[in-house]
Amino acid sequence: MNDTKTVGSVLVIGGGIGGMQSALDLADSGFKVYLLDSAPAIGGTMASLDKTFPTNDCAMCVMSPKLVECGRHLNIEIITWADVESVRGEPGHFSVKLVHHPRYIDVAKCTGCGLCVANCPVRNIPHFDRDAGLPELKEEDSKRITGILGRRKGQRGPLVSVLQDINDEYHYLPEDLLRHVAHHLEIPLSEVFSLATFYNAFSLTPRGKYTIQVCLGTACHVKGAPRILDALERELGIRAGQTTGDRLFSLEAVRCLGCCGLAPVVTVGGDVFGEVTQAGIPAILAEYRKAVEVENVEIKA
Amino acid sequence: MSKLKPEDLERIAGPSAGGITKITVHMGTCGIAAGAEKIKDLLLAHISEKEPADVVLSTSGCAGLCSREPMMTVERRGEAPVRYVDLTGDKIRKIFDTHVLGGNVVEECVLPEVAEIGFFGKQQPIVLKNRGLIDPGNIDEYIARNGYRGMAKALTTMKPEDIIGEIKDSGLRGRGGAGFPTGKKWELCRKTHSDIRYIICNGDEGDPGAYMDRSIIESDPHAVVEGMVIGAKAIGASHGYVYLRSEYPLALRQLEQATEDAREYGLLGDDILGTGFNFDISIHRGAGAFVCGEETSLIASLEGRPPEPKIRPPFPVESGVWGKPTAINNVETWASVPQIILNGAAWYSDIGTETSKGTKVFSVVGNVKNTGLVEVPMGITLREIVFDIGGGIQNDKAFKAVQTGGPSGGCIPESLLDLPIDYEKLSEVGSIMGSGGMIVMDENTCMVDVARYFLDFLRGESCGKCSSCREGTEVMYEILTAICEGRGKPEDIDLLIEIAGAVKAASLCGLGGTAPNPVLSTIRYFRDEYEAHISAGRCPAGVCKSLINYRIDEEKCKACMLCVTTCSVSAIRGEAKQPQRIDPEVCMKCGACSEVCKFDAVIVE
Ligand SMILES: Cc1cc2nc3c(=O)[nH]c(=O)nc-3n(C[C@H](O)[C@H](O)[C@H](O)COP(=O)(O)O)c2cc1C
Ligand code: FES
Repeated sequence: MNDTKTVGSVLVIGGGIGGMQSALDLADSGFKVYLLDSAPAIGGTMASLDKTFPTNDCAMCVMSPKLVECGRHLNIEIITWADVESVRGEPGHFSVKLVHHPRYIDVAKCTGCGLCVANCPVRNIPHFDRDAGLPELKEEDSKRITGILGRRKGQRGPLVSVLQDINDEYHYLPEDLLRHVAHHLEIPLSEVFSLATFYNAFSLTPRGKYTIQVCLGTACHVKGAPRILDALERELGIRAGQTTGDRLFSLEAVRCLGCCGLAPVVTVGGDVFGEVTQAGIPAILAEYRKAVEVENVEIKA
Repeated sequence: MSKLKPEDLERIAGPSAGGITKITVHMGTCGIAAGAEKIKDLLLAHISEKEPADVVLSTSGCAGLCSREPMMTVERRGEAPVRYVDLTGDKIRKIFDTHVLGGNVVEECVLPEVAEIGFFGKQQPIVLKNRGLIDPGNIDEYIARNGYRGMAKALTTMKPEDIIGEIKDSGLRGRGGAGFPTGKKWELCRKTHSDIRYIICNGDEGDPGAYMDRSIIESDPHAVVEGMVIGAKAIGASHGYVYLRSEYPLALRQLEQATEDAREYGLLGDDILGTGFNFDISIHRGAGAFVCGEETSLIASLEGRPPEPKIRPPFPVESGVWGKPTAINNVETWASVPQIILNGAAWYSDIGTETSKGTKVFSVVGNVKNTGLVEVPMGITLREIVFDIGGGIQNDKAFKAVQTGGPSGGCIPESLLDLPIDYEKLSEVGSIMGSGGMIVMDENTCMVDVARYFLDFLRGESCGKCSSCREGTEVMYEILTAICEGRGKPEDIDLLIEIAGAVKAASLCGLGGTAPNPVLSTIRYFRDEYEAHISAGRCPAGVCKSLINYRIDEEKCKACMLCVTTCSVSAIRGEAKQPQRIDPEVCMKCGACSEVCKFDAVIVE
C-alpha cells in the first residue's frame, strides 16, 4: 500500500455540541466520521443548560436537531461509553485503540423507553466525593443539624421536612448545612438545591429579624397592593426579596395570605395588618423599630 | 380521657350545664388581623374586674363577614344570639355593661338587620354550619353539634359499598377545581387491587383570593377529620395525609390539636369507636408553590421529590403516594361528607342544579361592600352573590367584572351576571368554578392589568417542565406588559390568542392547560380596553402607570395640604391657601395623594 495516500476517515473525540458540529461538517464533506464520547450518550454538557449566551436561545432547541442528525447520518458512526487508550501513527495514518466499557444492555434491542431507569432499586448515588469537601460546621450548628436529622429519622421522603425545620430555626438555608444534609440523607446535592430553590418559603440568603410579607394576591391586587409594595420598597430602601442593611427587615411579595376580606394585607414578623394604606406604613414599621430599640437598651442595661 | 363508644357521643351532646351567658370572640386569621386579640384581652379584663356569675368567654373561627371584623356574638340564656360588629374598646365596655350584665342589647353596635338579612339570609350553611359557633379547639363542642355522628353511622351501620353509593347518589363533586364526582373517585380507588390505600386532603389552597379551606380548618377542623375517616372506611385506606399550605400557621395548629383530641377520644387511630377500624392522619406542611395543589405534584412533594406534575394515567387512584392507590380530595369536599352521610343523599341532592348538587363556599372579595365567605346553593346567580350578599360595589362605583376560578379562571362581565352558577355554566362562559374565589372588580380595575397580573403569577409558578407553559406564559406576560406600558402593537391581540392556544394544547398539567384563560376571557369580553391601550395609548380605568397622569381639580381642592405632606418626592406645590398643583415631571405616580385626599380632588387621567 502506498504510505503517502491518506485515509478518508476522521475520529472526533468528544461528542458535545462542538464535537457533533465538527462531525456533521466533516461527514457532509464526504468523510467517514467516528464520533467518540466517554459518556454513555453523546450530547455533553449543553443539555443541562437552560439558555445560551448571547441570544438566550433554549439549549435543547439548538442541540436536539444535531443529535438526531448525528444519529441518522450515514457517514457518522457513534461510539459511546468508550475511552481512548492509545494513538499511534502520523497525520493521514492514525490507528487508535479504544477501551469500550461494558453497557450490560443490548443496544440493538433497547428502545430507550426508560422503564428500567424508573425501576432500578439503586438510587441516589451521591455524585460528589463522599467525605472530602464537606465544610466544617460550628459546634452549635452541628448540634442543631444532628438534632433536626435525628427527629426526621425513619420518615419516608424526609428532605422537605428537614429543609422546613432548618428554615424554621435559621430563617434561611445556610449552604454549608445543605451540604451536610445531602451527605447524611445520601441525596445528590443537586436535588437538595432543586427543592431549596423551588419553594417560595425557602431563601438561600440570610433574612432580617422581621420578614415583611406584602400580599399580591388577586383580591389585594385589585385593591392597590402593588402601590403598597412600591411604598414599602421606597420606605425601606430595598427591593422585594432583599434585606435591610441593619438586618432588621426582609421584604417579600407573596400571593394571598388567606385574609382576602381585609385586602390589602401585609404581615410583619407574623402579625397580620389588614386594609393597609400607603400613609399608614411608617407607623407600622415604627412599632417594630421601637421594639428593637427597647430590646437593645435592655441588653445594654 | 377514655376512648369513646358510639353511644357516648349522645352523652357528650346531651344538654350541657346551660343557663349561662356565652360570649364568643371570632378569632380566625382575619379576625386576629383586625384586632380580635385585643378585644379578647379587654373582655377578660372586664370579667376579672366585675367577676360576673355564669359568663363564659369562648373563641371561635371566622364568622364569615370579614369586612366587619372584629366581631363577637353574645348569647344569653334563652335568648337569640346577637352579633356585634366593628368592635372597639369603648364599644366592648358598653356591650359588657349593658348587654352581658344588664341584659339590654346595644343596638348601635349590632350588625344592622338589612346587612344581616342580605349577607346571611341567602346563605345555606352546610360545610360552614359550625362557623363562629363552636370553639375549634374543643372537641366536645363539635360533638355537641352533631359531630362525629355521621362517622358513627358509617362505621357501625354501613358497608363500604353503601357509603360510596350514598356519596355517588348525593351528586357531590370535587370542590378543588375540576369537579370530578367524588363517589366515582372513591369507587375507582377501592376497585384498584392493592394491600394498602391512602387518602389525601388537599389543603394547599393556592388560588390567590380564595380562603375557604383555611377558614374551614381554622373554625371546624373536626369536620375534615370526620370526613376523612368516613372516606377511609369507604375506600379501605389505613392512612391519610393532610397537605397544608405553609402560609396558614393557625390552621396548622388547630388541625394538630383536633387530630390529637380525636385520637384521645378514640375517634382516630386504632380501633375507632370500638369498631375495629384503624385509620390515622398525618399533617404535612407545604412550602409555598402553587403547582403543589395539582394532585400529582402534591404527591411528589409529599414524598420529598421535586414537585413536578406527572403524566396521567396512571391516575392517583391507581398509583399515588408511594405507588399505592390514593384518593385525593379538597378540604371542602371532605368537610361535606359527614353531613351527607348523616342526612342522606336525597337531602343533599335536593339542593343545587341538574349537574351540580349541594352548596359551594365562595370567598366574595375585592371591591364589594361585604367581603367574606358565603355558602350558597349551586344555581344561585352571580347577581345575587355580588349585589344581595355582597351588598354591591364599594363607594357605589360601577360594577365591571367578577373573576372566578383563580389563575385558571376568567373574568365574567356584567352582561352575564344573571348566570346561574354551576360547573358547566361557568366553563361555558370561559371561566371555571375553581376553588371558589370570587373577586369583584369595579370600574377602576384595568382588565389588561388583571390579565398581566395573572400571567405574572403563572410564569413564576410554572414548574418549568413543559416548555410550552414555561416559555408561553413568559412571552404572554411580556406582550401584556408592553401593552400596559403603551408599547403594544395592533397585531398583539391576535398573537396572544395564538400563543394561548399553543400553551393550552401542549402543556401537561392543569396549570399550563388553563393558564391562558385569564387572557382569553379578558380579550373576549373586554377587547375594547386592549384596543384603547394599543391604539389610543390610554388606560380607561386609570391603572397602568405609563399611560396615566395625576392632576388636582382646582375646584375641589380645599388646600388642606394633606397631599403635600404625604407626597414623598415633593411633587405637589402651590401657594398656601390656594389650590395645589402636581408637577408631572417630578410625580412618580404612586397615588398616595389620591388615597389621602378627602375631597376627591385628585384626578387620574
Ligand atoms: C395548577 C393546579 C393547582 C391546583 N390547586 C389546588 C388547590 O390549591 N387545592 C385543591 O384542593 N385542588 C387543587 N387543584 C386540583 C387538584 O389537582 C385535584 O383535582 C383536587 O385536589 C381533587 O380534589 P376534589 O376532587 O375534591 O376537587 C389544582 C390543580 C391544578 C392543575
Ligand atoms: S389576596 Fe391578599 S390575602 Fe388573599
